[in-house]
Amino acid sequence: MNLGTMAELDYPVKRPDTCAPLQISIGNVPLSLFIRDETLLGPAVRRYREFAQNSANGFPVHLNEPETRTKMGEFSYLLDDAKLILGSRGAKFYGVRHEYALDSLLRILLTMVLLPQRGFLLHGATVVRDGRAYIFFGRSGAGKSTVASLSPEGSVLTDEISLLRYSDGCWQAHGTPFWGEFRAAGINRLFPIAGLYLLKQASDDRAEPLSLKEALRALLPCVLFFTAEKRAHETLLRTLMGLIEEIPCHRLHFRRNAEFWRVIAA
Amino acid sequence: MKGYIVRNPKLAWREVDGEMVIISPEDSQVHELNETASLIWKHADGRSLEEIAERISTEYEVSLEAARADIGELVTTLEQKQLVFVATEVKG
Repeated sequence: MNLGTMAELDYPVKRPDTCAPLQISIGNVPLSLFIRDETLLGPAVRRYREFAQNSANGFPVHLNEPETRTKMGEFSYLLDDAKLILGSRGAKFYGVRHEYALDSLLRILLTMVLLPQRGFLLHGATVVRDGRAYIFFGRSGAGKSTVASLSPEGSVLTDEISLLRYSDGCWQAHGTPFWGEFRAAGINRLFPIAGLYLLKQASDDRAEPLSLKEALRALLPCVLFFTAEKRAHETLLRTLMGLIEEIPCHRLHFRRNAEFWRVIAA
Repeated sequence: MKGYIVRNPKLAWREVDGEMVIISPEDSQVHELNETASLIWKHADGRSLEEIAERISTEYEVSLEAARADIGELVTTLEQKQLVFVATEVKG
């Protein structure tokens, strides 16, 4: 090696990028997570193991690299000490100190990536029965985890964050790695959606059909959404209308026991 | 009836079964309008309140005076919620 020549260089020599990405796919959105921090990589590999998928074209997500200024047209979101910057060619996560922060930023990223693809995340449990997905949604404390706990093992795609997406001519629910009380690894499968159920704890079990307007009003506060852009909200409204025009939506009065399945089956 | 009405351009909205569901993207607040308010909203594109009153009078078969009174109240509410703006004259 000619050290003299090296010393004459007036710009730093950039080492080739040897960081192999952790490749995952959530809701058929391939992601390549570039995680250099070993203390973060291990937990991430474990957390998303059910969603590991080799894909050469994963949307690049770079974690904790030297921060650059947000460019025009980029979306940014601050979550406590962590930050997401999303551009058309990739995303950057800053200040990610633990897997929970990574998980939160991934949820925000997915809401943005799914939106133009007729997809979204919803505060809801997804349970599969006879090959079809039932979405039980509602705010915190509505009973999502209770519904999940009352459902057969292996039938719950998530007890906390459901992923709904229109593809192949129908609305489908995807498994997610985003869980609440169950803390499971998740199931990376998708099923056609049979129905949407707004949870309401009650003294009886019955399903009350909702009008389009009621359904839209019920869904909106339960959608994970992080942008204040008008066009994004218009897209979301269009997506939700497309969903409820095809999939029946009910208010499910239930007594926190498994009897609700009898009502749904009827 | 004096004034011209225009929708707040920052809002996202969708007509559902003839009624408007409006979202304010800045604070995620959702507004629902009844049938008459939705009609006002639909026509709030810079046209005069008098023109909207005439349309409502015809559509609902009520007197022009009654339509003006209804509109007056609803427009005040819509204005207070910053869903519409009312100008005394058309700009531009």
